[in-house]
Amino acid sequence: MSLTGLYVGRAVSLRILFSELRRLGYVVIGYKVVDGVLRLGELNSFEELAHDVEDIQSPGKYSLVSGDFYRHGPDSPKRFLYPPTLTLFKVSSEWVVSVPAYEERNIAFFGLKPCDLASIKVLDKILLGVDEYYTSLRKNLVLVVENCVSPGGTCFCSTMNTGPRARDSFDLAYTRLNDKLVVEAGSELGLKLLNLLEVEPIDDVTYERFEVMMRNASEKARAGFELNGLPEELELRIESKTYEEIVEKCLGCANCNMVCPTCFCFDVFDVPLIDGSAERVRVWDGCLNFTYGQVAGGHFRPDLWARYRHFVLHKLAYWIKQFGMYGCVGCGRCITWCPTGIDLRETVKKVLRGGKGG
Amino acid sequence: MGKYTAALVPLKASIARVRVETSNVRTYYVKLPDGLELPKPGQFNMLYVHGVGEVPISVSDLDEESRVVAHTVRFVGSVTKTFELLREGDLIGFRGPYGIGWPMDAAYGKNIVLVAGGIGLPPLRPVIREVARNRSAVGKLIILYGARTPEDLMFSYEYGDYESIPNTEFYVTVDKPSEGWRGNVGVVTNLIKHVDVDPSESYAFICGPEIMMKFAVRELLKRGFKTNKIYLSLERRMKCGVGLCGHCQMGPYFVCKHGPVFPLWFISRYFWVDQI
Repeated sequence: MSLTGLYVGRAVSLRILFSELRRLGYVVIGYKVVDGVLRLGELNSFEELAHDVEDIQSPGKYSLVSGDFYRHGPDSPKRFLYPPTLTLFKVSSEWVVSVPAYEERNIAFFGLKPCDLASIKVLDKILLGVDEYYTSLRKNLVLVVENCVSPGGTCFCSTMNTGPRARDSFDLAYTRLNDKLVVEAGSELGLKLLNLLEVEPIDDVTYERFEVMMRNASEKARAGFELNGLPEELELRIESKTYEEIVEKCLGCANCNMVCPTCFCFDVFDVPLIDGSAERVRVWDGCLNFTYGQVAGGHFRPDLWARYRHFVLHKLAYWIKQFGMYGCVGCGRCITWCPTGIDLRETVKKVLRGGKGG
Repeated sequence: MGKYTAALVPLKASIARVRVETSNVRTYYVKLPDGLELPKPGQFNMLYVHGVGEVPISVSDLDEESRVVAHTVRFVGSVTKTFELLREGDLIGFRGPYGIGWPMDAAYGKNIVLVAGGIGLPPLRPVIREVARNRSAVGKLIILYGARTPEDLMFSYEYGDYESIPNTEFYVTVDKPSEGWRGNVGVVTNLIKHVDVDPSESYAFICGPEIMMKFAVRELLKRGFKTNKIYLSLERRMKCGVGLCGHCQMGPYFVCKHGPVFPLWFISRYFWVDQI
């Protein structure tokens, strides 16, 4: 929830916010350009934050060009809060169990988009109070969110009700309107940050512009299907042959799982070490991987279409039953980073068109 | 160590006894580590071979007094194959119990029909034990058991005990008879014709390969069993046991947490769907 309503300041004051977060001892994480891709990483200076670039995203394609607004890259907050690899514990040869002490860090995400803010809300539901690593980082996590004035080619946050404007759960949310900055605070800390800026309550003209920008952005970020009744409609078509047609293009590479900001599945490996001890390591896993449904002497999803179907239905139907919310936030990463450009939006529409027997 | 990490850390346990069941199946009796609850029939534990890996194994027997719990393991995968090397006195990692077991309370005063296929008998064995111990708690007990060959039959040394439980019928069949086999031949679902009970007063517990369970369910439904009286123990890949790693999903259910034992009505929307 907004504590303050909207204020307006100057775009250059973003630097002030950044410096203050650093001064308060936060590890500030935001987008920087690495090898022609926007990657989330620690920012040591405001200059490192990506600027004057735009990401062009479409199914199976990603490129950076010069521009004044960008969305995101393949990384999501999950990468930091629920890392791809984590040593859970070590068992010595004498059976003494030791759990590694995780480094306590105060993280501030800077310039996350509303879809990724929503993904943290999804992860909260699953991991908060359950996963210690996540919970300890989440406790002091600061979220400075940038509203999306220009959603990309694979974005559908508007359909998933997660954007383009962040409505709650942020410390500070800002919107860049050329050289102006529209800001609102959503927490005590956000309020402190807001007070550092030279801002005034938003005037009618700026507010009107802000509203129009958000409305237009909202129109752009639609998937072409409606959420209303979707989980049930998809479940009614659980035996749809459409999944088989779609996976003709699928490589089963699990990129979709890996870039998804909410996929939480993991595998564990027990690694024997030279001194006779063994570590258990947790790594990300995903339902598109062949081994995901495999057991010794059997396989529950040997066919790729079944694994892809599980991905689609988990995000858009089962998740509701498991956690009371959608598992998809409409960020579009699974579409952009699919090597063959399989488009979740098109899949859903095609399955729905196929009818109940299709 | 917090709640979550603790939930995933195996405790040290020593193997009290190993019993050879068949050429590739053995039962490992483990003294339950202190602080762990005694498992209920149908629950499973995660057993860890140091440096190799962990597997979910159902409880095939338990002794409340000595807190010794049995796990019957077939050597099929990379982890279970190393079980063959384990001997009495060896240490393994142990955590559990996990999941929801057989509905013994609901079955109180009713008849129980057990349908087991192959390695599906061990998870049902604690049910037989419980009925034998507390015979007046349930009505008739019918045990139907099928295996591939006579050599694959589990626990054949105790069939006499099953048959001597009052008001109990025990039928066994094999797919492929070997020399000297005089018993039934054919799939276990053929035995359902022997089930002479009032379905509305009876529970059916099924455990075995998924394909066998599907046939068993069909037969039981034909016999008039209702979907809230048919229970199945499902198998899936399981790496955590607490509904987090995701591998055991069947539709919206985490089999390790919401199961592994489910009433059919719970899962009937998904159970018949190919490769769900």
